[in-house]
Amino acid sequence: MLTTALIAIPVAGALLIAIAPLSSYWLGSLAALISLVEIGVWITTAARFDFSSSSLQMDQRASWFSDLQVSWHVGQYRFSLWFVGMTVVAMAACTIYGWWAGRDRARAYFALMLLLTGAIVGVFVAQDLLLFYAFFEAMLIPLYVLIGVWGGSDRMRATITFVVYTVVGSLLMLAAIVVFGLQQGTFDMTRMGTSSSQWLFLGFVVAFAIKSPLFPLHGWLPVTYRESSAEVSAVLSGIVGKAGLYGLLRIAIPFFPQPVHDWRIVMLILGSVSLVYGSLLAFRAPDFRGVVMYSSLAQSGLIVLGLFASNSLGFDGAVLQIVNHALVSTALFLLAGMIERRTGTRGEFSLLGGMARGRPALATMIMTVGIISLAVPLSTTFAGEFLILAGVFQQGWLWAVIGGASMVLAAMYMLRAISAVLHQDVGPAVSENALDLRVGELAIVVPLVVCLVGLSAWPNLVSGRASAPTSSGWTQYAP
Amino acid sequence: MAAAPWICLLLPLASAVAITAAGTAIPRRVAGYISTVTTMGAFAAAVVAFVDMAGKSASHRSDATTSWTWLSAGPYHFGLTLLTDQLSIVMMLIVTGVSSLIIAYSIGYMDGEDEERRFFAYMSVFVFSMLLLVQGGNLLLLLAGWGMVGLSSYLLIGYYQERESAIQAAKKAFVMNAFGDATMALALFLLIQHTGKLDYAGVFAASPHGGAVANLIALGLLGGALAKSAQIPLHTWLPDAMEGPTPVSALIHAATMVTAGVYLIARCHPLFENAYVIADLAAGLGAATLLMAGLIALVQTDIKRVIAYSTMSQIGYMFVGAGLGTYPNAMFHLMTHAFFKALLFLAAGIAIHAVVGEQDIRKLAGVGKLMPFTKWVFLVGSLALVGIFPFAGFFSKDAIISAALDRGWYGDVIYVACLAGAFLTGVYAFRLFFIVFTGEPSAFAREHFHAHHGQEGPISMRWTVGVLGALSVVGGLIQFAPVWHLLSTWLAPVAAPIAEPTNTQEWITSGLAILIGLAGIGVAWAIYGAKRVRVPRSLTLFEKKFYWDELYDLLWYRTSDLVARGLYALVEAPLIGGSITAVTGVVGLGSRELSVAQNGLVRSYALALAGGLAVLAVVFLAVR
Repeated sequence: MLTTALIAIPVAGALLIAIAPLSSYWLGSLAALISLVEIGVWITTAARFDFSSSSLQMDQRASWFSDLQVSWHVGQYRFSLWFVGMTVVAMAACTIYGWWAGRDRARAYFALMLLLTGAIVGVFVAQDLLLFYAFFEAMLIPLYVLIGVWGGSDRMRATITFVVYTVVGSLLMLAAIVVFGLQQGTFDMTRMGTSSSQWLFLGFVVAFAIKSPLFPLHGWLPVTYRESSAEVSAVLSGIVGKAGLYGLLRIAIPFFPQPVHDWRIVMLILGSVSLVYGSLLAFRAPDFRGVVMYSSLAQSGLIVLGLFASNSLGFDGAVLQIVNHALVSTALFLLAGMIERRTGTRGEFSLLGGMARGRPALATMIMTVGIISLAVPLSTTFAGEFLILAGVFQQGWLWAVIGGASMVLAAMYMLRAISAVLHQDVGPAVSENALDLRVGELAIVVPLVVCLVGLSAWPNLVSGRASAPTSSGWTQYAP
Repeated sequence: MAAAPWICLLLPLASAVAITAAGTAIPRRVAGYISTVTTMGAFAAAVVAFVDMAGKSASHRSDATTSWTWLSAGPYHFGLTLLTDQLSIVMMLIVTGVSSLIIAYSIGYMDGEDEERRFFAYMSVFVFSMLLLVQGGNLLLLLAGWGMVGLSSYLLIGYYQERESAIQAAKKAFVMNAFGDATMALALFLLIQHTGKLDYAGVFAASPHGGAVANLIALGLLGGALAKSAQIPLHTWLPDAMEGPTPVSALIHAATMVTAGVYLIARCHPLFENAYVIADLAAGLGAATLLMAGLIALVQTDIKRVIAYSTMSQIGYMFVGAGLGTYPNAMFHLMTHAFFKALLFLAAGIAIHAVVGEQDIRKLAGVGKLMPFTKWVFLVGSLALVGIFPFAGFFSKDAIISAALDRGWYGDVIYVACLAGAFLTGVYAFRLFFIVFTGEPSAFAREHFHAHHGQEGPISMRWTVGVLGALSVVGGLIQFAPVWHLLSTWLAPVAAPIAEPTNTQEWITSGLAILIGLAGIGVAWAIYGAKRVRVPRSLTLFEKKFYWDELYDLLWYRTSDLVARGLYALVEAPLIGGSITAVTGVVGLGSRELSVAQNGLVRSYALALAGGLAVLAVVFLAVR
């Protein structure tokens, strides 16, 4: 029931907001309240969760289209719990940021944000392939609108780009799902056996690679992340991209052991290329969002390395890193939004600088999140990166050497970004009127930072409680 | 007393958190008091742990306590473990002791800076990180501490945030150390693969003896050590790090953090003994560094940079000692060096503080006449640095040099290099002393010198320097290689030396080293003290610091920059469709009908996407 509740609460909340006769401000506060309730329900779920068991828990099944063997089947594995957790936390931060920033057309805006929350949670808990597909599409539709209506000046181009890319991915995935389900005689993921079809595997991989994103299918990234409003970019990079990685983890890898084995080298190459390519472009990016965006591409590549390391080090590290990056990326995009609001810029480094002086809260937050994002040892991102690279090292030393080199590149691009905003001469767009972070903004960012610092003290909370079941197709991850 | 190591570790962290959380609610000076008191508390905890340990028999002194599993995956578990043994307790005492003095000194030095709180919070973070490094009970925590000291170093070098050069220096230090972290991480991956563990005892028992794997493991660790300890070829960040406030230079870039590489080799000595080629490489790089740094120090004109190169050179000696396997003597030199080098920096800091922050020795010339106390403590530090009996450096440095005689022709070469280094040390140390502290004050020094309430500096700066001066005199007495060996005996169960020079070799080396050091002082006196000999023309090679900066600029920064620009221009923009103009440009190239593409946004993107898919398809087909 709790799993279904996690989907139902935000969806019901969205409907409530759509009809409630309230002013914009109160609609926003209602949405914020619902997103906090959602976190509370997740904490309840986590408290009742049996982490010693690797099987599906909190599941609920109801027949839907029985002649097609389609069912409403939701439930959570240990790793799913973390996916849901990061989603509800990040979505709450983004929703509250939208409230704080006072988005216009509040009714539609907050309804869409809550609908999005429900859909993403659905993606991570669906145990039926068609249900998964339905949630995946339901996740994209609010995003089209959120980008197209509340985006920046060039938002139409951003929306079209995003739509074209995602539609291609979705069609591929739909085709693969239908063929795979008909072959298996069921769409229930817990009952499906493995397949050795290369084409099905590739269909899934391409669909998920567009979403993650992976080189060279990241073409929608630059324009979309720059033109969306800050909190939508945060959702896209922090959470929606993870749906692609989740798809690799939950579908492409366990159901296709033979193709995974055959294509492993190619996937590792794509992962490392994304990692290095993203890091290098982040080093050259002229604006704050550019750095965060390309570093997301790099992180996505790193996580793919972990997933295709085919051992428990890589898998547990990848789950940990997915959670880390969701929090880091959300915090960084929201901070980017806060910087842009104060300076009236779009985050161009040439216009910024010297913001640390007289703004200790802003400096502390940017510095802390930035340092964690570049995976300084002892941070939780370091823990994730360490496990992933230790895992992929067992596939061959070269992958880990590439990963090691990218650790240096990460230091280069992140320190450059931090300095360009905070240090050196005061930039032309930074006036005395650009205030330090306000209490409202701190209330959004500080909880994210607290999560990250807490995880840094105890990353094992996630990595030690993430393993996949050892049955059937999951065997590659078995310890 | 099992709690003492934890208290020692966590007190500085608590201080950093308290100062940050309190923010402007506490006066600036109180931040300094909080930081000092907690660090002294950590020192007290280390002393308690030491007394407790000394009361046990030698075989029961090692104690590992785990609080919780920090990280695990599948069958691998890495705990948050503190290992308190003979080696770590020595480091804990040095780190907390010297940190207490230097942070207390900072109360006076940093007085009046408008962001003192930030400074003291960072200093406390540093002490915590350094303690984590030396107390960590497995290699993963060592690496965590390793990265955290790098982070604190970055924050403190860049403390003066609006100064471009400081920010650049901070970034350079961080990136170069990130490289070291990466090679260490690779060594850890190898260890996980071959031993399945990362705790010291387990790793030492199971790691391979000899062969490529053992060499690569040692090489990876050495990479981290070279970066952190500023040895060739990863040394160029240290002189630039002098952009930080002087107490930072004294604490991080002289007394503690930069010597971490020596601790690493001593701690992981079984891994280096399994790979003697790499151990020899460490000794060789140490010898090369001590010569090169000594030569560059001869021509530097910034008082802190001279001392920084001297630090590089002295750590070179420690690397020689650690690489050759005389770990207790390397640790001994680490300790005495912490005393006299902190003394030199802090004494220099008093002079800089009194002359409005000036660091150029030509402008500081003769300031010693105005500040006799500083002059005498600086002399003590310089004598200890050169290794003149009975000052601390004499006891520790000579023991390292004589160990080289136990190692065939390779050792002989290193032996000669070390003696030549002793000569250079005499020259550059006393060049500095004679220029700055003897003779008539320069016009600049006279004009800008201002006494602090009739004293040379605030009380907090003088008593701490006095204590370090005393330690630089008597600190070496705990061990005199030919006669008594307190430290070696204490460390024997965890880091027994594998190089054992005879007593005759020790006596001869001590005699030679003193004579050579005195010769160096004599040369410096003739040129800079008595001015009987004209100052020789300095070599461009030395002034350009052997062109390392230019080399790295070309090899790494420019290359990354070029590749990144190239990727953007040749791949990202046209192929991936990052910008609409580029996409339309590509389409327009063939047809010259830009309007077609402009009217067909969707088509352009479909094309870009199809292009991406096509690339992918080709990759898939080609690689299979």
